[in-house]
Amino acid sequence: MRTILAIARKDLRLRIRDRSAIVVGVLAPVLIAGLMSLAFSGLNSFHFTLGLVELDHGPVAAQLVKALEARQLDQVITVRSFASPALARAGIKDGELGAALVIPAGFSGSVTSQHPEALMTITSSQATVSGEVTRSIVASFAAQLNADRLAFATALAAGAPRADTAELIRRVSALRIPLQTVERPAGAHELKVISYYSPGMAIFFLLFTISYTARSFFVERSQGLVERIRAAPVRPVEILLGKAMSVLVYGVVSLGTIGVITSAAFGADWGAPLPAALVGLALVISVICLTALVIGIARTQRQAEGVASIIVFGLALLGGNFFLISGAPSAIQHLALLTPNGWAIRGFTDLATIGGGVGTVVQPVLAILAFSAIVGALAVSLARRAVSS
Amino acid sequence: MSPVPVLECEGLTKSFGARLAVDGVGFKIAEGEVYGLLGPNGAGKTTTMKMVCGLLEPDKGTISVAGRQAIGNLEVKALIGYVPQDVALYPDLTARENLEFLARLYKLGRRTVAARVAEALELTDLTERRDDRIDSYSGGMKRRLNIAAGLLNHPKLLVLDEPTVGVDPQSRHAILERVQAFGREGLAVVYTTHYMEEAERVCDRVGIIDQDHLIAEGTRRELVAQLGEQDRIELNAAGDLEALAKACRAVEGVTNVATADNGVQIVASEGRHLLPALLEAADAAGIAVTSVEVVEPDLEAVFLHLTGTALRE
Repeated sequence: MRTILAIARKDLRLRIRDRSAIVVGVLAPVLIAGLMSLAFSGLNSFHFTLGLVELDHGPVAAQLVKALEARQLDQVITVRSFASPALARAGIKDGELGAALVIPAGFSGSVTSQHPEALMTITSSQATVSGEVTRSIVASFAAQLNADRLAFATALAAGAPRADTAELIRRVSALRIPLQTVERPAGAHELKVISYYSPGMAIFFLLFTISYTARSFFVERSQGLVERIRAAPVRPVEILLGKAMSVLVYGVVSLGTIGVITSAAFGADWGAPLPAALVGLALVISVICLTALVIGIARTQRQAEGVASIIVFGLALLGGNFFLISGAPSAIQHLALLTPNGWAIRGFTDLATIGGGVGTVVQPVLAILAFSAIVGALAVSLARRAVSS
Repeated sequence: MSPVPVLECEGLTKSFGARLAVDGVGFKIAEGEVYGLLGPNGAGKTTTMKMVCGLLEPDKGTISVAGRQAIGNLEVKALIGYVPQDVALYPDLTARENLEFLARLYKLGRRTVAARVAEALELTDLTERRDDRIDSYSGGMKRRLNIAAGLLNHPKLLVLDEPTVGVDPQSRHAILERVQAFGREGLAVVYTTHYMEEAERVCDRVGIIDQDHLIAEGTRRELVAQLGEQDRIELNAAGDLEALAKACRAVEGVTNVATADNGVQIVASEGRHLLPALLEAADAAGIAVTSVEVVEPDLEAVFLHLTGTALRE
């Protein structure tokens, strides 16, 4: 044990002395999580100003305006009226408006004719989401209108008297446009972007420990340092365990520090400390096993760097460190569950949304440990050979 | 030699795939003896040393250190101090941190570690700079520290693998002095080198290793005696050295000829008397000889006599 501690202490000392440890272990993940949170914060509270050019003033147009000003759309749209399409275009150009909708003169009157007036949506290339939302509202309204027109035409074809046309139009226009529902994440609390990207980035940068540790092993070996250690009464497995212990300490401290900083500075929610620590610990164990695998597979420093890069970026992409996994296609969501980081992110997001204690993270922790056991079994014999050779 | 040798190797054999690296090497070293393992690069010296230090397992043969079977025996490693050819220290750590780390690998107590580190720093005159990172040290300082690190466990056997390669003359002199002192202090030392003059200077006995085999062993006097009355002659010349060697071989009395860096080396009986005939042969071969030296029999001549090649080839 004394030998293992001596090797771990030496490795940690070297790691800390290398200034990149603090950058990669704490500063970069905190900074990038903050920036990503800032960049994607709109996903949680999307809002834009819609320019409305109402030139019709008829009953159908009134229904459309009423729908746009409905309470349910308050949080998404603020409607601002303009006298002409040109003024609305200027508003979009100036960036005051996300999009504009023009209801042409005679629109209400034309809905029962064969060639009704068209609603016009003006969008901006800078605010594509605003344009899509506006188009979606118009499409929804048009669908309802077309259904009403069909009902109107059917009534006439069935013999409804022409004299009742005005009454029919009034009734049709009184019909309400169906409202869209907004999907919310499952759980007791809504998932904040920072609560996703804080662990996401912390895990991503933790994965770089694989590359750093494997590379430093091969550097030590090429400098005759591993051989010098082996000339002492030290077993190869003690060398591996010493290195594993240094990764364990570094990983846990790194995740813990990022957790504290992002919670205090950005309000990230990592869940209760104990279950969060269990997820973190399981993840660090998987990182140790992956590091041993790289050391076992590679023959040179360059090979180690190559293999580690593939593993780090492959896992980060599959596991959802760069994007909200809930928004990914289901195939990607399933693939994420083949990765320890994917399970860890799931564990942390479950803690942030569902809450609860250790019970919430039992499945992610067991899945990560199962992954570690498989990789570790494969890695240990290979890595022992690398240390002994 | 004491009744129980500090190191005893018998029939050491090691192959890497189809390549035989060491074949049946055996030797003994007594307490206080500096034993030189002399041979050209690739002869099998380092492989032999790695087997002695437990870094490689021999395919065949036995090794015992202080009477204890050494192969696969972790405890025996505590009796051996290993100084690798290249400086094997952490450049980002200070001298003290490096030594403390290496001392801890021998499972020494905290006080013992502190005492051994202080002792090593004292030995290398680096006490004042113990808290400086060693990447700020000169090459000579690193070399000294590299050797001192091999003494932290107070070994019975010190293995030095070509410790003067790439070292400036001043540091080299200091290292050789130190190695001689180790022997005087009672330490058994294995010193591998391909520098004949180093082996002659510091070693009590020398084993000559060439092409995986130990081909001769003994004190300098014993080895040189194998030559009888033969001398070593160095002909420095420019041009076709192979042609010069061929011409010299044809001279009566010449027993061995090998090309060297700037000429040829010759082992011959009554060397001084053969000089005119050798110069004539060189002239006939169209080679201009720039200098001639007749050297008293030495290990270089022994090596040439035994192998037919110069040591530095």
